Amino acid sequence: MDVMPAIRVVDLRKNFGALEVLKGVSFDVHTGSVVSMIGASGSGKSTLLRCINFLETPSSGDIFIDGEPMGFRSDASGQRRLRPLSEVNLMRRELGMVFQQFNLWPHMTVLGNVIEAPIRVRGMSRKQAVALGEECLARVHLSEKAREYPARLSGGQQQRVAIARALAIQPKAMLFDEPTSSLDPELTDEVLSVMRELAGDGTTMIVVTHEMAFAREVSDRVLFLHNGLIEEEGPPEQVLGAPKSERCRQFLSKYLH
Amino acid sequence: MSNWERLVWNQQGVLLQGLGVTVEVCLIAFAVAITGGLTLCLIRTYFPPLRFAAIVLIEFFRATPIFVQLVWIAYVWPELFGWPNSFFTAGWLALGLQSSGYLAETFRAGIEGVARGHREAGYSVGMSPLLVFQRIVMPQAVLTVSPSIVNQFTVIVKSSTLISVITVQDLMFQAMKLVNVWYEPIEILTVTAGIYIVMVFLVSTAGKMLADLLRRRYGLAAA
Repeated sequence: MDVMPAIRVVDLRKNFGALEVLKGVSFDVHTGSVVSMIGASGSGKSTLLRCINFLETPSSGDIFIDGEPMGFRSDASGQRRLRPLSEVNLMRRELGMVFQQFNLWPHMTVLGNVIEAPIRVRGMSRKQAVALGEECLARVHLSEKAREYPARLSGGQQQRVAIARALAIQPKAMLFDEPTSSLDPELTDEVLSVMRELAGDGTTMIVVTHEMAFAREVSDRVLFLHNGLIEEEGPPEQVLGAPKSERCRQFLSKYLH
Repeated sequence: MSNWERLVWNQQGVLLQGLGVTVEVCLIAFAVAITGGLTLCLIRTYFPPLRFAAIVLIEFFRATPIFVQLVWIAYVWPELFGWPNSFFTAGWLALGLQSSGYLAETFRAGIEGVARGHREAGYSVGMSPLLVFQRIVMPQAVLTVSPSIVNQFTVIVKSSTLISVITVQDLMFQAMKLVNVWYEPIEILTVTAGIYIVMVFLVSTAGKMLADLLRRRYGLAAA
Protein backbone atom coordinates (compact mmCIF):
# COMPACT_ATOMS: atom_id res chain seq x y z
CA MET A 1 0.00 0.00 0.00
CA ASP A 2 0.97 3.58 -0.62
CA VAL A 3 2.67 5.47 2.18
CA MET A 4 0.51 8.41 3.28
CA PRO A 5 2.13 11.64 2.10
CA ALA A 6 2.66 14.37 4.71
CA ILE A 7 0.83 16.80 2.44
CA ARG A 8 -1.42 15.86 -0.46
CA VAL A 9 -2.92 18.56 -2.66
CA VAL A 10 -5.66 17.47 -5.05
CA ASP A 11 -6.99 19.58 -7.91
CA LEU A 12 -6.66 22.82 -5.98
CA ARG A 13 -8.31 25.87 -7.52
CA LYS A 14 -8.51 29.44 -6.34
CA ASN A 15 -10.29 32.44 -7.84
CA PHE A 16 -10.13 36.02 -6.70
CA GLY A 17 -13.35 37.22 -8.30
CA ALA A 18 -13.02 36.59 -12.01
CA LEU A 19 -9.28 36.06 -11.74
CA GLU A 20 -8.36 32.39 -11.63
CA VAL A 21 -5.04 32.16 -9.82
CA LEU A 22 -4.84 28.40 -9.36
CA LYS A 23 -6.33 26.23 -12.06
CA GLY A 24 -6.19 22.75 -10.64
CA VAL A 25 -2.93 21.87 -8.92
CA SER A 26 -2.16 18.41 -7.51
CA PHE A 27 0.98 17.11 -5.86
CA ASP A 28 2.24 15.12 -2.87
CA VAL A 29 4.93 15.97 -0.38
CA HIS A 30 6.31 12.91 1.34
CA THR A 31 7.40 12.93 4.94
CA GLY A 32 10.96 14.14 5.30
CA SER A 33 11.18 15.50 1.78
CA VAL A 34 11.73 19.02 0.51
CA VAL A 35 9.67 20.42 -2.36
CA SER A 36 10.63 23.74 -3.90
CA MET A 37 8.18 25.79 -5.89
CA ILE A 38 9.54 28.16 -8.47
CA GLY A 39 7.88 30.36 -11.02
CA ALA A 40 7.44 33.96 -12.06
CA SER A 41 5.55 36.53 -9.98
CA GLY A 42 1.85 35.95 -10.41
CA SER A 43 2.28 32.28 -11.26
CA GLY A 44 0.28 31.40 -8.13
CA LYS A 45 3.00 29.87 -5.98
CA SER A 46 2.44 32.07 -2.93
CA THR A 47 -1.33 31.66 -3.22
CA LEU A 48 -0.84 27.90 -3.40
CA LEU A 49 1.20 27.94 -0.22
CA ARG A 50 -1.33 30.16 1.56
CA CYS A 51 -4.17 27.88 0.45
CA ILE A 52 -2.43 24.88 1.99
CA ASN A 53 -2.87 26.29 5.50
CA PHE A 54 -6.09 28.10 4.64
CA LEU A 55 -4.82 31.64 5.03
CA GLU A 56 -6.64 31.76 1.70
CA THR A 57 -9.69 29.55 1.39
CA PRO A 58 -9.40 27.47 -1.79
CA SER A 59 -12.30 27.75 -4.23
CA SER A 60 -12.24 24.01 -4.70
CA GLY A 61 -9.97 21.03 -4.31
CA ASP A 62 -8.66 19.14 -1.33
CA ILE A 63 -5.68 19.28 0.96
CA PHE A 64 -4.75 16.42 3.26
CA ILE A 65 -2.26 16.67 6.08
CA ASP A 66 -1.19 13.14 7.03
CA GLY A 67 -4.40 11.95 5.41
CA GLU A 68 -6.60 14.34 7.39
CA PRO A 69 -8.61 16.77 5.23
CA MET A 70 -7.49 20.31 6.01
CA GLY A 71 -10.35 22.68 5.44
CA PHE A 72 -13.19 20.70 3.95
CA ARG A 73 -14.91 17.56 5.08
CA SER A 74 -17.70 15.47 3.66
CA ASP A 75 -20.78 15.34 5.84
CA ALA A 76 -23.11 12.35 6.24
CA SER A 77 -24.82 12.94 2.91
CA GLY A 78 -21.50 13.20 1.11
CA GLN A 79 -21.75 17.00 0.75
CA ARG A 80 -18.46 18.85 0.92
CA ARG A 81 -18.51 21.38 3.73
CA LEU A 82 -16.04 23.92 5.01
CA ARG A 83 -14.90 22.83 8.44
CA PRO A 84 -15.62 25.21 11.30
CA LEU A 85 -12.91 27.77 11.90
CA SER A 86 -12.02 26.15 15.22
CA GLU A 87 -11.12 22.91 13.42
CA VAL A 88 -9.21 24.73 10.71
CA ASN A 89 -7.24 26.42 13.49
CA LEU A 90 -6.40 23.07 15.03
CA MET A 91 -5.20 21.82 11.66
CA ARG A 92 -3.13 24.91 11.02
CA ARG A 93 -0.81 24.13 13.88
CA GLU A 94 0.31 21.05 11.98
CA LEU A 95 1.94 23.40 9.48
CA GLY A 96 4.62 25.93 10.37
CA MET A 97 4.55 28.98 8.13
CA VAL A 98 7.42 31.35 7.46
CA PHE A 99 6.52 34.60 5.70
CA GLN A 100 8.43 36.82 3.35
CA GLN A 101 7.97 39.75 5.75
CA PHE A 102 8.89 37.71 8.90
CA ASN A 103 5.79 39.01 10.72
CA LEU A 104 7.29 38.78 14.16
CA TRP A 105 5.12 40.33 16.85
CA PRO A 106 7.00 43.47 17.80
CA HIS A 107 5.55 43.81 21.29
CA MET A 108 6.94 40.46 22.41
CA THR A 109 10.55 39.47 22.97
CA VAL A 110 12.15 36.91 20.69
CA LEU A 111 11.46 34.17 23.22
CA GLY A 112 7.94 35.56 23.72
CA ASN A 113 7.27 35.18 20.00
CA VAL A 114 8.48 31.59 20.05
CA ILE A 115 6.62 30.39 23.16
CA GLU A 116 3.32 32.17 22.47
CA ALA A 117 1.70 29.34 20.53
CA PRO A 118 3.12 26.49 22.63
CA ILE A 119 1.53 28.10 25.68
CA ARG A 120 -1.72 29.46 24.23
CA VAL A 121 -2.39 26.88 21.54
CA ARG A 122 -0.68 23.70 22.73
CA GLY A 123 -1.47 24.43 26.38
CA MET A 124 2.08 23.84 27.61
CA SER A 125 3.24 25.16 30.95
CA ARG A 126 5.46 28.19 30.73
CA LYS A 127 8.44 26.20 31.92
CA GLN A 128 8.00 23.51 29.27
CA ALA A 129 7.43 26.15 26.61
CA VAL A 130 10.55 28.07 27.56
CA ALA A 131 12.61 24.89 27.36
CA LEU A 132 11.14 24.13 23.95
CA GLY A 133 11.56 27.74 22.84
CA GLU A 134 15.21 27.78 23.83
CA GLU A 135 15.75 24.56 21.95
CA CYS A 136 14.13 26.05 18.83
CA LEU A 137 16.19 29.22 19.12
CA ALA A 138 19.31 27.09 19.42
CA ARG A 139 18.39 25.37 16.15
CA VAL A 140 18.42 28.76 14.40
CA HIS A 141 21.56 29.81 16.35
CA LEU A 142 19.95 32.72 18.16
CA SER A 143 19.95 31.58 21.78
CA GLU A 144 21.70 34.75 22.86
CA LYS A 145 18.92 36.98 21.44
CA ALA A 146 16.07 35.41 23.44
CA ARG A 147 15.40 38.52 25.56
CA GLU A 148 15.70 41.07 22.76
CA TYR A 149 12.76 42.67 20.98
CA PRO A 150 12.50 41.95 17.25
CA ALA A 151 13.12 45.60 16.33
CA ARG A 152 16.71 45.16 17.59
CA LEU A 153 17.47 42.30 15.20
CA SER A 154 18.68 42.29 11.60
CA GLY A 155 16.33 41.01 8.92
CA GLY A 156 18.18 37.71 8.73
CA GLN A 157 17.96 37.26 12.48
CA GLN A 158 14.26 38.15 12.45
CA GLN A 159 13.59 35.55 9.82
CA ARG A 160 15.47 32.93 11.80
CA VAL A 161 13.32 33.79 14.84
CA ALA A 162 10.27 33.39 12.63
CA ILE A 163 11.54 29.93 11.69
CA ALA A 164 12.03 29.10 15.39
CA ARG A 165 8.49 30.32 16.11
CA ALA A 166 7.11 28.02 13.43
CA LEU A 167 9.21 25.08 14.67
CA ALA A 168 7.94 25.62 18.21
CA ILE A 169 4.43 24.47 17.31
CA GLN A 170 6.08 21.15 16.39
CA PRO A 171 4.46 21.04 12.98
CA LYS A 172 4.34 18.07 10.65
CA ALA A 173 5.67 20.24 7.83
CA MET A 174 7.14 23.69 7.30
CA LEU A 175 5.93 26.11 4.64
CA PHE A 176 8.30 28.83 3.49
CA ASP A 177 6.88 31.72 1.48
CA GLU A 178 9.85 33.39 -0.21
CA PRO A 179 11.74 33.48 3.08
CA THR A 180 14.73 35.39 1.73
CA SER A 181 13.07 37.72 -0.78
CA SER A 182 13.06 40.74 1.51
CA LEU A 183 16.61 40.23 2.74
CA ASP A 184 19.87 41.76 1.56
CA PRO A 185 22.10 39.22 -0.17
CA GLU A 186 24.53 39.06 2.74
CA LEU A 187 21.68 38.19 5.12
CA THR A 188 20.18 35.59 2.80
CA ASP A 189 22.88 33.03 3.49
CA GLU A 190 22.30 32.79 7.23
CA VAL A 191 18.63 31.99 6.62
CA LEU A 192 19.35 29.50 3.85
CA SER A 193 21.93 27.71 5.96
CA VAL A 194 19.39 27.29 8.77
CA MET A 195 16.91 25.91 6.24
CA ARG A 196 19.58 23.58 4.88
CA GLU A 197 20.11 22.23 8.40
CA LEU A 198 16.38 21.69 8.84
CA ALA A 199 16.22 19.80 5.58
CA GLY A 200 19.21 17.74 6.70
CA ASP A 201 17.34 16.87 9.92
CA GLY A 202 14.53 15.38 7.85
CA THR A 203 12.03 18.24 8.19
CA THR A 204 9.23 18.07 5.64
CA MET A 205 9.30 21.37 3.78
CA ILE A 206 7.63 23.26 0.97
CA VAL A 207 9.71 26.23 -0.09
CA VAL A 208 8.56 28.95 -2.45
CA THR A 209 11.80 30.50 -3.56
CA HIS A 210 13.80 32.37 -6.15
CA GLU A 211 17.06 30.90 -4.83
CA MET A 212 17.78 28.41 -7.59
CA ALA A 213 21.08 27.20 -6.17
CA PHE A 214 19.38 26.46 -2.88
CA ALA A 215 16.49 24.69 -4.59
CA ARG A 216 18.88 22.55 -6.58
CA GLU A 217 20.96 21.61 -3.58
CA VAL A 218 18.26 20.94 -0.99
CA SER A 219 15.09 19.87 -2.81
CA ASP A 220 13.95 16.38 -3.50
CA ARG A 221 11.47 17.71 -6.05
CA VAL A 222 10.98 21.02 -7.80
CA LEU A 223 7.66 22.29 -9.11
CA PHE A 224 7.61 24.96 -11.76
CA LEU A 225 4.33 26.90 -11.70
CA HIS A 226 3.07 28.89 -14.62
CA ASN A 227 -0.30 30.63 -14.84
CA GLY A 228 -1.81 28.67 -11.98
CA LEU A 229 -0.72 25.24 -13.18
CA ILE A 230 2.23 22.98 -12.53
CA GLU A 231 4.04 23.28 -15.82
CA GLU A 232 6.88 20.99 -14.94
CA GLU A 233 7.90 18.90 -11.96
CA GLY A 234 10.61 16.47 -11.11
CA PRO A 235 13.94 16.10 -9.38
CA PRO A 236 15.97 19.31 -9.28
CA GLU A 237 18.59 18.06 -11.76
CA GLN A 238 15.84 17.65 -14.32
CA VAL A 239 13.66 20.74 -13.71
CA LEU A 240 16.55 23.09 -13.05
CA GLY A 241 19.17 21.36 -15.18
CA ALA A 242 17.38 20.09 -18.23
CA PRO A 243 13.81 21.37 -18.26
CA LYS A 244 11.49 19.88 -20.85
CA SER A 245 9.10 22.82 -20.95
CA GLU A 246 9.99 25.83 -23.03
CA ARG A 247 8.48 28.21 -20.43
CA CYS A 248 10.54 26.70 -17.66
CA ARG A 249 13.66 27.08 -19.79
CA GLN A 250 12.82 30.72 -20.43
CA PHE A 251 12.15 31.36 -16.76
CA LEU A 252 15.40 29.73 -15.69
CA SER A 253 17.45 31.57 -18.30
CA LYS A 254 16.90 34.75 -16.27
CA TYR A 255 18.68 33.16 -13.34
CA LEU A 256 21.71 31.80 -15.17
CA HIS A 257 24.62 34.03 -15.84
CA MET B 1 3.40 93.35 50.71
CA SER B 2 3.41 92.82 47.03
CA ASN B 3 0.31 92.20 44.99
CA TRP B 4 1.60 88.73 44.15
CA GLU B 5 1.84 87.83 47.78
CA ARG B 6 -1.53 89.31 48.68
CA LEU B 7 -3.49 88.05 45.69
CA VAL B 8 -1.83 84.72 44.97
CA TRP B 9 0.34 83.42 47.79
CA ASN B 10 -2.16 84.22 50.53
CA GLN B 11 -4.96 82.66 48.45
CA GLN B 12 -3.10 79.47 47.74
CA GLY B 13 -5.54 77.44 49.80
CA VAL B 14 -8.43 78.42 47.54
CA LEU B 15 -6.43 77.90 44.38
CA LEU B 16 -5.12 74.51 45.50
CA GLN B 17 -8.62 73.43 46.40
CA GLY B 18 -9.70 74.38 42.88
CA LEU B 19 -6.69 72.57 41.43
CA GLY B 20 -7.70 69.46 43.36
CA VAL B 21 -11.18 69.56 41.82
CA THR B 22 -9.69 70.10 38.36
CA VAL B 23 -7.37 67.11 38.74
CA GLU B 24 -10.18 64.95 40.08
CA VAL B 25 -12.59 65.85 37.27
CA CYS B 26 -9.90 65.33 34.63
CA LEU B 27 -8.85 61.93 35.93
CA ILE B 28 -12.41 60.64 36.12
CA ALA B 29 -13.15 62.09 32.66
CA PHE B 30 -10.01 60.42 31.30
CA ALA B 31 -11.10 57.04 32.66
CA VAL B 32 -14.54 57.55 31.12
CA ALA B 33 -12.97 58.57 27.82
CA ILE B 34 -10.75 55.49 27.61
CA THR B 35 -13.47 53.05 28.63
CA GLY B 36 -16.10 54.71 26.44
CA GLY B 37 -13.74 55.15 23.50
CA LEU B 38 -12.63 51.54 23.57
CA THR B 39 -16.19 50.29 23.89
CA LEU B 40 -17.40 52.44 21.00
CA CYS B 41 -14.46 51.39 18.87
CA LEU B 42 -14.97 47.67 19.53
CA ILE B 43 -18.68 47.91 18.79
CA ARG B 44 -18.02 49.86 15.62
CA THR B 45 -15.34 47.46 14.42
CA TYR B 46 -16.58 44.06 15.54
CA PHE B 47 -20.31 44.22 16.22
CA PRO B 48 -22.19 45.04 13.02
CA PRO B 49 -25.74 45.14 14.53
CA LEU B 50 -24.80 48.17 16.60
CA ARG B 51 -22.21 49.63 14.27
CA PHE B 52 -24.46 52.41 13.06
CA ALA B 53 -25.43 53.42 16.58
CA ALA B 54 -21.76 53.56 17.56
CA ILE B 55 -20.90 55.73 14.57
CA VAL B 56 -23.74 58.12 15.41
CA LEU B 57 -22.54 58.44 19.00
CA ILE B 58 -18.91 58.91 18.01
CA GLU B 59 -19.78 61.60 15.49
CA PHE B 60 -22.18 63.25 17.90
CA PHE B 61 -19.57 63.47 20.67
CA ARG B 62 -16.98 64.76 18.23
CA ALA B 63 -19.18 67.26 16.46
CA THR B 64 -20.82 69.05 19.38
CA PRO B 65 -18.88 71.85 21.04
CA ILE B 66 -17.83 70.93 24.58
CA PHE B 67 -19.65 73.99 25.93
CA VAL B 68 -22.95 72.88 24.42
CA GLN B 69 -22.47 69.31 25.64
CA LEU B 70 -21.65 70.46 29.12
CA VAL B 71 -24.76 72.60 29.44
CA TRP B 72 -26.89 70.00 27.71
CA ILE B 73 -25.79 67.18 30.01
CA ALA B 74 -25.99 69.36 33.10
CA TYR B 75 -29.48 70.78 32.43
CA VAL B 76 -31.23 68.49 29.95
CA TRP B 77 -30.13 64.99 31.00
CA PRO B 78 -31.55 65.29 34.53
CA GLU B 79 -34.91 66.18 32.93
CA LEU B 80 -34.68 63.34 30.38
CA PHE B 81 -32.98 60.57 32.36
CA GLY B 82 -33.02 61.75 35.98
CA TRP B 83 -29.21 61.74 35.93
CA PRO B 84 -26.59 63.14 36.48
CA ASN B 85 -27.66 64.46 39.84
CA SER B 86 -24.76 66.84 40.42
CA PHE B 87 -22.91 69.38 38.31
CA PHE B 88 -19.66 67.71 39.31
CA THR B 89 -20.86 64.48 37.68
CA ALA B 90 -22.18 66.35 34.66
CA GLY B 91 -18.74 67.98 34.34
CA TRP B 92 -16.64 64.81 34.12
CA LEU B 93 -19.30 63.07 32.10
CA ALA B 94 -19.37 65.71 29.37
CA LEU B 95 -15.57 65.90 29.23
CA GLY B 96 -15.28 62.13 29.20
CA LEU B 97 -17.89 61.54 26.55
CA GLN B 98 -16.49 64.09 24.15
CA SER B 99 -13.02 62.60 24.41
CA SER B 100 -14.43 59.08 24.09
CA GLY B 101 -15.58 60.05 20.58
CA TYR B 102 -12.05 61.06 19.65
CA LEU B 103 -10.43 58.11 21.39
CA ALA B 104 -12.77 55.67 19.64
CA GLU B 105 -11.30 56.83 16.34
CA THR B 106 -7.77 56.75 17.77
CA PHE B 107 -8.23 53.14 18.90
CA ARG B 108 -9.66 52.25 15.52
CA ALA B 109 -6.60 53.68 13.79
CA GLY B 110 -4.44 51.62 16.14
CA ILE B 111 -6.31 48.39 15.43
CA GLU B 112 -6.31 48.97 11.69
CA GLY B 113 -2.63 49.83 11.85
CA VAL B 114 -1.66 46.33 12.98
CA ALA B 115 -0.16 44.67 9.92
CA ARG B 116 -2.28 41.93 8.38
CA GLY B 117 0.79 39.71 8.38
CA HIS B 118 0.95 39.84 12.18
CA ARG B 119 -2.59 38.48 12.36
CA GLU B 120 -1.80 35.84 9.76
CA ALA B 121 1.26 34.77 11.70
CA GLY B 122 -1.07 34.21 14.65
CA TYR B 123 -3.54 32.18 12.61
CA SER B 124 -0.71 30.18 11.07
CA VAL B 125 0.38 28.87 14.47
CA GLY B 126 -3.18 27.82 15.25
CA MET B 127 -4.39 30.81 17.29
CA SER B 128 -8.12 31.54 17.27
CA PRO B 129 -9.38 34.95 16.11
CA LEU B 130 -10.10 35.86 19.72
CA LEU B 131 -6.58 34.93 20.82
CA VAL B 132 -5.11 36.84 17.90
CA PHE B 133 -7.12 39.87 18.93
CA GLN B 134 -6.20 39.62 22.61
CA ARG B 135 -2.57 38.75 22.26
CA ILE B 136 -1.47 40.35 19.01
CA VAL B 137 -3.82 43.07 17.78
CA MET B 138 -4.90 44.78 20.99
CA PRO B 139 -1.51 45.04 22.73
CA GLN B 140 0.06 46.51 19.60
CA ALA B 141 -2.86 48.87 19.03
CA VAL B 142 -2.77 50.13 22.62
CA LEU B 143 1.01 50.58 22.49
CA THR B 144 0.97 52.51 19.23
CA VAL B 145 -1.86 54.83 20.26
CA SER B 146 -0.82 55.32 23.88
CA PRO B 147 1.01 58.60 23.19
CA SER B 148 -2.13 59.89 21.44
CA ILE B 149 -4.21 58.77 24.39
CA VAL B 150 -1.94 60.67 26.73
CA ASN B 151 -2.26 63.73 24.52
CA GLN B 152 -6.04 63.47 24.64
CA PHE B 153 -5.63 63.99 28.37
CA THR B 154 -4.24 67.46 27.68
CA VAL B 155 -7.40 68.23 25.70
CA ILE B 156 -9.46 67.19 28.70
CA VAL B 157 -7.39 69.40 31.01
CA LYS B 158 -7.87 72.42 28.78
CA SER B 159 -11.58 71.80 28.16
CA SER B 160 -12.10 71.35 31.89
CA THR B 161 -11.81 75.10 32.38
CA LEU B 162 -15.34 75.34 30.99
CA ILE B 163 -16.95 73.34 33.77
CA SER B 164 -16.90 76.46 35.93
CA VAL B 165 -19.89 77.69 33.90
CA ILE B 166 -21.98 74.94 35.48
CA THR B 167 -20.62 76.04 38.86
CA VAL B 168 -18.17 73.20 39.43
CA GLN B 169 -15.57 74.75 41.70
CA ASP B 170 -12.44 73.92 39.77
CA LEU B 171 -9.25 75.95 39.48
CA MET B 172 -10.75 78.31 36.91
CA PHE B 173 -13.84 78.82 39.06
CA GLN B 174 -11.78 79.71 42.12
CA ALA B 175 -9.53 82.02 40.13
CA MET B 176 -12.51 83.92 38.74
CA LYS B 177 -13.99 84.11 42.22
CA LEU B 178 -10.81 85.76 43.51
CA VAL B 179 -10.80 88.14 40.55
CA ASN B 180 -14.37 89.13 41.39
CA VAL B 181 -13.49 89.73 45.02
CA TRP B 182 -10.43 91.90 44.46
CA TYR B 183 -11.05 93.26 40.96
CA GLU B 184 -7.35 92.71 40.27
CA PRO B 185 -7.09 90.06 37.59
CA ILE B 186 -3.47 90.40 36.43
CA GLU B 187 -1.66 88.31 39.02
CA ILE B 188 -4.37 85.76 39.66
CA LEU B 189 -5.08 84.97 36.04
CA THR B 190 -1.40 84.92 35.13
CA VAL B 191 -0.67 82.38 37.83
CA THR B 192 -3.73 80.35 36.85
CA ALA B 193 -2.60 80.27 33.23
CA GLY B 194 0.83 79.23 34.48
CA ILE B 195 -0.60 76.32 36.43
CA TYR B 196 -2.48 75.07 33.35
CA ILE B 197 0.62 75.41 31.22
CA VAL B 198 2.63 73.36 33.69
CA MET B 199 -0.06 70.67 33.84
CA VAL B 200 -0.36 70.39 30.08
CA PHE B 201 3.40 70.48 29.67
CA LEU B 202 3.91 67.65 32.14
CA VAL B 203 1.28 65.50 30.48
CA SER B 204 2.47 66.08 26.93
CA THR B 205 6.08 65.48 27.95
CA ALA B 206 4.99 62.15 29.39
CA GLY B 207 3.33 61.42 26.03
CA LYS B 208 6.52 62.23 24.13
CA MET B 209 8.64 60.09 26.41
CA LEU B 210 6.25 57.23 25.92
CA ALA B 211 6.43 57.60 22.14
CA ASP B 212 10.24 57.57 22.32
CA LEU B 213 10.26 54.49 24.47
CA LEU B 214 7.94 52.66 22.06
CA ARG B 215 10.12 53.55 19.12
CA ARG B 216 13.30 52.47 20.82
CA ARG B 217 12.09 49.29 22.38
CA TYR B 218 9.50 47.97 19.94
CA GLY B 219 10.18 49.91 16.76
CA LEU B 220 6.55 51.08 16.84
CA ALA B 221 5.76 54.50 15.40
CA ALA B 222 3.16 56.27 17.50
CA ALA B 223 -0.20 56.95 15.86
